[in-house]
Amino acid sequence: MKPPLLRDVQVWMVGAITGAPADADEAAVARFVTPGPRLTAAERFDIYRSGYHARLLECLLDDYPVLATMLGRDDTGRDEEGQFAALCRAYVDRHPSASPNLNGFGRHMPSFCREAKLDGFPGFAALGRFASELAALEWALVEVLHAETAPPLDIAALQAMAPEAWAGARFIRSDALRLFRFEYPVNAVFIAIRIEEIVPDVPAPSPNAVAVYRKDMQLWRMDLTPAMLGVLEPLVQGKSLGEALETVEAECTDPDVLAQTGANLMVWFREWVDAGFFTRVVLPDPATP
Amino acid sequence: MNRFSLPNLGIGLGLRTVHYAHILEHAPAVDWFEILSENYMQTTGRPLHFLDRVAERYPIAMHGVSLSIGGTDPLDRAYLAELKTLRDRTKALWVSDHLCWTGVAGKNTHDLLPLPYTEESLRNVVSRVKQVQDILGAPLALENPSTYLEHAGNTMKEWDFLAALASEADCALLLDVNNVYVSAFNHGFEPAEYFAAIPFDRVVQLHVSGHTNYGTHIVDTHIGPVIDPVWELLGEAYKKTGSSILLEWDAEIPSFEETHADALRAKEFITPKEAT
Repeated sequence: MKPPLLRDVQVWMVGAITGAPADADEAAVARFVTPGPRLTAAERFDIYRSGYHARLLECLLDDYPVLATMLGRDDTGRDEEGQFAALCRAYVDRHPSASPNLNGFGRHMPSFCREAKLDGFPGFAALGRFASELAALEWALVEVLHAETAPPLDIAALQAMAPEAWAGARFIRSDALRLFRFEYPVNAVFIAIRIEEIVPDVPAPSPNAVAVYRKDMQLWRMDLTPAMLGVLEPLVQGKSLGEALETVEAECTDPDVLAQTGANLMVWFREWVDAGFFTRVVLPDPATP
Repeated sequence: MNRFSLPNLGIGLGLRTVHYAHILEHAPAVDWFEILSENYMQTTGRPLHFLDRVAERYPIAMHGVSLSIGGTDPLDRAYLAELKTLRDRTKALWVSDHLCWTGVAGKNTHDLLPLPYTEESLRNVVSRVKQVQDILGAPLALENPSTYLEHAGNTMKEWDFLAALASEADCALLLDVNNVYVSAFNHGFEPAEYFAAIPFDRVVQLHVSGHTNYGTHIVDTHIGPVIDPVWELLGEAYKKTGSSILLEWDAEIPSFEETHADALRAKEFITPKEAT
């Protein structure tokens, strides 16, 4: 008998591995797969089917260990499947991999958490915003790990700048820097789980800001006050230091924040440079009015 | 020596992130490292930083999992271009991947799926191997996979398929003796049948690794240590090839010293025993 066409075999097999269980029923499997010495055709096929979800769950667990801990992997009362596993199973179905590489596979998780509805976990919808922000923090660590390596701005270059040059200076941000405004204190949750090894309750909303960055090949997170963020955000958007300060003055209505900015700007700036937030400084062309 | 004149690098290890710090700090006396190609692709950051430090000091070979040489989607030219760039960067002595396919119609399962061993499938793989070798400008070494099922449409044995492929595409082979052991158990053949068909002059590298035996079947988990029957297969294969040896350990990875010590057990099985 003529064997089935290779393409037909492959289309069936991927559909049955990645699709609903009905796609891999025994009769369908038996058309394409022979039984082995100790396993039926369906049992042999199921090694691939179960491996598919397990492999991608493991990938997402690598990227989102704190989210997994907060959502619960196996203590939810369901057999073998915690809320994180259910989230990942739904994610894999919604965002199957189309890439030869898994480095970017988890990139949709922050947006997916906001929209996902999980069978068996009706309470997940209430967690969506928190889960999304925690996922964004964890995904930023992945992105920063893979971001291009460039030498950080040398503090000596700043010390050599004439005082009058500072206002027009633009600081080129490192690719390995991400800034976030969060509704929930997700960095505190991250610290509790990864450093203090405590699993906290889901916290109440408390607006905050965090920088995620890489320094000397290590990944770091830095809490930012509103005053810090007021200056840093326009700087990384490409505004000059003078323009950034004008933005703060124009938009800030809190006199405490303005006072903090005036008193601490140079200390913050040194800290940001030391952390490698910037790779170089561009001074205005003196010929340009 | 193999027909590609690729050297015997000795006994190497798969480079794993958990060992980076030890390797860079202690510069252990390892003959060579094999990298998982995809770990250093689609990144411009820390993985490449560490890889560059390792490649400065040790010979490197590249081993991939996503070429999908048996697939029926068009070859991924962007992937191949990046693979070539990585080879140039690391000066890898050869590039390998698996005799398998990974997905279809744009969907990637990230698994090493077994091919139907048919004439149509052989023609497809031969054509694709030739294209890949042209793009890389170097021989590609294909590894025999661990498999857990056999296709009802098979018209030839895996070893005959592999031998025909190597000859017709003029490619190299990476013989994974653990995979031979695993598939032999899962499908009920003798490893000697497999070895009898392999063109050993095309084998440029040997793999060993641990596996997980579930009684009814064995899964190629790369959890060590390597069991003696697999080491014995390695000894047999080495007699025929004298190729570079590499231990893969991918889950529940122990300390560098323990991993390396297991790799060095290869010496017990490749060194001729003195007569007593």
